[in-house]
Amino acid sequence: MNLLIHDAGPQTTVQDLGRRGSLRVGIPPSGPMDREAFLLANRLVDNADDAAGLECTLTGPRLEFADARWVAVTGADMPVTLNGAAMPRWAGFEVKAGDVLRLGPARSGVRGYLAISGGIDTPPALGSRATYLRGQLGGFEGRALRKGDCLPLGPASGGAPAEVLERHIPDYTVEPTVRVVLGPQDDCFTKRGIAALFDATYEMTPQSDRMGARLRGARVEHTHGHDIISDGVALGGLQVVGDGQPIVLLADRQSTGGYTKIGTVCSFDIGRVCQVKPGQRLRFRRIGVAEAHDFLRAYRHELELAIHREATS
Amino acid sequence: MGIYGEPRFLPCGDLALSVELGDDINREVNARVLALEYLIQQRRLGGVTETVPSYRSLLVYYDPLAVSWDELTRSLHALWREARPEVLPPARTVEVPCCYGGDLGFELEAAAKKLGLSTDEVARLHASADYYVYFVGFTPGLPYMTGMPERLHIPRLAQPRTKTPPGSVSIGGIQCCIYSVESPGGFWVLGRTPLSLYDHAAADPILLRAGDHVRFRMIDRAEYDAIAAAVAEGAYTPRIETAARTR
Repeated sequence: MNLLIHDAGPQTTVQDLGRRGSLRVGIPPSGPMDREAFLLANRLVDNADDAAGLECTLTGPRLEFADARWVAVTGADMPVTLNGAAMPRWAGFEVKAGDVLRLGPARSGVRGYLAISGGIDTPPALGSRATYLRGQLGGFEGRALRKGDCLPLGPASGGAPAEVLERHIPDYTVEPTVRVVLGPQDDCFTKRGIAALFDATYEMTPQSDRMGARLRGARVEHTHGHDIISDGVALGGLQVVGDGQPIVLLADRQSTGGYTKIGTVCSFDIGRVCQVKPGQRLRFRRIGVAEAHDFLRAYRHELELAIHREATS
Repeated sequence: MGIYGEPRFLPCGDLALSVELGDDINREVNARVLALEYLIQQRRLGGVTETVPSYRSLLVYYDPLAVSWDELTRSLHALWREARPEVLPPARTVEVPCCYGGDLGFELEAAAKKLGLSTDEVARLHASADYYVYFVGFTPGLPYMTGMPERLHIPRLAQPRTKTPPGSVSIGGIQCCIYSVESPGGFWVLGRTPLSLYDHAAADPILLRAGDHVRFRMIDRAEYDAIAAAVAEGAYTPRIETAARTR
């Protein structure tokens, strides 16, 4: 059975957890910009973590179901309606054949996620259904969805009422503080430059996309030039070019680059960066590698406790 | 200068680290990088999720809940001791047909003028060399190559283009580059290959790999069109030789 797109929204793409092993030939992993919100949506409808769903940007789609499914919407605060009636976010609910679901313009946050029981069943490319827009790879014909598209779904796998606990639902109106490990090229920056990065707040600019979050704020000063011998670019790499403005490199990033990277945003805070709207601000906090690994362990543990399932009678 | 006495392990957040083996662009350092990556794959080093080679360093993605920083850097250090070019399988040589000049090589004339050579000399010199792919990256399938004859070393364009067609064979500095997807560019476009360096519809979308050798073969416009047509139909097999060459 399938999913009919009545309106697509500005950039709605099919994503799963992304491809692995292709960075070495220059193909990024892609996958959801906010991995946590995506994962929780899948878990709410009893999907495997790597089932494919939709990532919606700023405004979601309007779409129609051809059969009964469980669905869940997480991430950006996009008002959800089913046949015009308001529905909860961060909770699973059932839809019937012919039902029309709409995700409206985000009141806060940028990326909303829709998971459907059974998952979206487009053909995998290099082992993944994630859409890589610049490379026209994966997802639905390697592109963002358009009106009239019809997406195949996997066999419906059933479901049961479940919701994300209140304390695990992020408030995207708050200015986030994201944690950064210094390196690999922090030695290319002055003490003053490094201090600026952690003292100032940075504004998200409209030039940000799935490749990178381009920020504007206090200048991060180099000791001598911003060019390096090109090397690999990790997820969250904080690249600083000649103008001293940082760019956080994200899911569709270039695999390698020739600019200095002062630090790297930790994986558990990447999703939060991707929910900062243009014009909104964020801050950076410096932590060490060992501390980052402690945070990661705690974060993964917490994520396991985020969903409340109603006891089945 | 060159290869470090000891590798440097540089943190790249909570899920990756960079193993830096030297401080310049040279074949020996790069061969060590590729050998280290090869050994990681062969030994299935625990906790490593992905690797990305570049000129002088290897980016290693890992799961810190499966392997600690200390354990991982210890194992990487041990592999680094073994990571000599000899451990690598024989290199491939890939033939890349190229149509020089005309509207496909729209900067051949300007480059020739800048170099004080004739367009024929530039094309012949360019096609005569053996190129080495240090790594593939930035955009899907784009090879970072050196091996260009010194007489073709040329400053990059003062005014970079906003769009370069895929397949454009171009030169800048001491490097030769083939654009894999339409992208901005600061290199001089001498010609174009009808081969796809990145074919999103193919099961294996990438033509060139780190450690490959590339040889350009001069073709005329008619052969370019014929090969391009065959490539479009999926009926063209690139010529690839695997020989025990020195890297």
